[in-house]
Amino acid sequence: MTTTAQRTDGARIEVRDLTKTFGSFTAVDHLSFEVEPGRITGFLGPNGAGKTTTLRMLLGLVRPTSGTATIDGRDYRDLENPSATVGSALESTNFHPGRSGRDHLRVLAAAGGLPDSRVDEMLELTGIPAAARKRAGEYSMGMRQRLGLAAALLGDPRVLLLDEPSNGLDPEGIRWLRGFLRHLSSQGKTILVSSHQLQEVQQTVDDVVIIANGRLVRSGAMSDLRGAPSTIVRTSDPDRLVGALRVADVMAAAGDDGELVVETTDKRLVGDVALRAGLPIWELRDRKADLEELFFDLTEGTNRNLGDGATSPPPPTERDAVSGQEGANE
Amino acid sequence: MGAAIRSEFRKIFTTRLWWGMAIGIFVAGALFAGFFGWVLTSDQPGGPGGGPALEGDATQVVNSVYTAGLGVGYLLLLTMGILQIGSEYRHKTITATFLATPKRVRAMLAKVVALLGIGGVYGLISLLGSVAVGAIVLTLRDVDPFPSTEVLRTLALSLLALGLWALIGLGVGILIPNQVAAILVGVGVAWIVEPLLGLGLSYVDAAKDVVPYFPSNATNAMVNGVTQGGSQVDYLPWWAGALVLAAYAAALSAFGTWRTVRQDIS
Repeated sequence: MTTTAQRTDGARIEVRDLTKTFGSFTAVDHLSFEVEPGRITGFLGPNGAGKTTTLRMLLGLVRPTSGTATIDGRDYRDLENPSATVGSALESTNFHPGRSGRDHLRVLAAAGGLPDSRVDEMLELTGIPAAARKRAGEYSMGMRQRLGLAAALLGDPRVLLLDEPSNGLDPEGIRWLRGFLRHLSSQGKTILVSSHQLQEVQQTVDDVVIIANGRLVRSGAMSDLRGAPSTIVRTSDPDRLVGALRVADVMAAAGDDGELVVETTDKRLVGDVALRAGLPIWELRDRKADLEELFFDLTEGTNRNLGDGATSPPPPTERDAVSGQEGANE
Repeated sequence: MGAAIRSEFRKIFTTRLWWGMAIGIFVAGALFAGFFGWVLTSDQPGGPGGGPALEGDATQVVNSVYTAGLGVGYLLLLTMGILQIGSEYRHKTITATFLATPKRVRAMLAKVVALLGIGGVYGLISLLGSVAVGAIVLTLRDVDPFPSTEVLRTLALSLLALGLWALIGLGVGILIPNQVAAILVGVGVAWIVEPLLGLGLSYVDAAKDVVPYFPSNATNAMVNGVTQGGSQVDYLPWWAGALVLAAYAAALSAFGTWRTVRQDIS
């Protein structure tokens, strides 16, 4: 992958008061948010929160009951050259099993007025040039995801909408996808990635839009949502350590299970203070799980289809350990 | 528009269905032409079962021979039409189709043009078989294989008929989104129910006037073949048959397009 970034003109996604009802069921409920160019935005929420319906309304596939969803200020259906404006990968099963992946792309390329050479370029880029000559019925999930991504990129679009793109990818594939999306956003593309797993995207995205029950729960820059960095410490006498830390001008408060949450990232300082106070340290670590806790706080108990992927393993304690653990989160 | 049409043709030619259908329609054309070429030029004593004698001039006999496989052919094209939309629903490729061509009327018009085209192509393949075999058989039976230029009109109209049946299939495929059900119902009605109903109604004085307007009878009128003596059905003139069949095709594909444009694709 080259890093020569050709900047493209930015195109914003704007969702305004968007509502969709199916009978008495409100799938999307007065939802408003924006997605900025040159950034990767995570579109998060539990399964059934209305993510896919929102994406389908953005793409003109589902008609909103009210409100608007525009890309670069226009309805998808009014775009002059849709494949050059928006690329999307919605579901990994959208292939005719008797047609090869390459031919699937050729069908789309014809509709977008693109040459077959562009098809082969995208197959190279997504790493499936040989496999794409087999019929799509034989493809693995990871292969389908890559083919879907190749389809989305065919027209070199300014905006990418990807629905759960890492589903079915192995850890290596997820790492590849992350780098790939970074590269694309560095070109100024607008990227919206939906996921029901925060851990999966928190290393990738710049902004998040979190929805539950079709309503907006929170949106903003990842850094704003994370909260101030802090340290977790566990000792034999928490109250004495709080006092000793206060003397050192560091605020601390009791957390869960006798933990102390210390408002600093300086673990060495915390350790030195404890030593001077003659207190043992049983545990000392960075507190990184704020965002995930926030996510569950915001969306817990609101899931309309109970029993889906709301459970995930405990958050990793070290940020560096995440890349090795991703696969286990599937 | 041209891009969307090219995309539809690529859909047809990138799965294995098309050459299976091509072989089928070629073989049907050849076999039926050979068989009818033999039967229609044989002496007809009326048969032991007392079946009605077939009536027709030299041109009508030749027309019948060359288009003998049309009944099978239009069922195959009906199926092609159903599949052109039905497989998109079934495999959810309709999403990709409408993303690539978000103006849905345009996407559906592209399907209409492609199906008319493919009807013509399959018609030519069918005629390749039926005219070759039919002409040989007729020549062997000492019958002029090209008694008049009207035969050419019949051949051309048989291509149109196949394209129109494909459009009827497109409408059926949209009305019945389950592809397998659509094929069973579509072929069942066109092959069995409609001809039987036509036959039954032709004996009912109050209803027999509508029978020539049935799709299969309109198709037969277009190619102007031999008729069964004593038949109750007065076929329409060839041009009226063409108009009637075109009306069925237009109505069904237009209704299908209207439904598709309004549909939520999820």
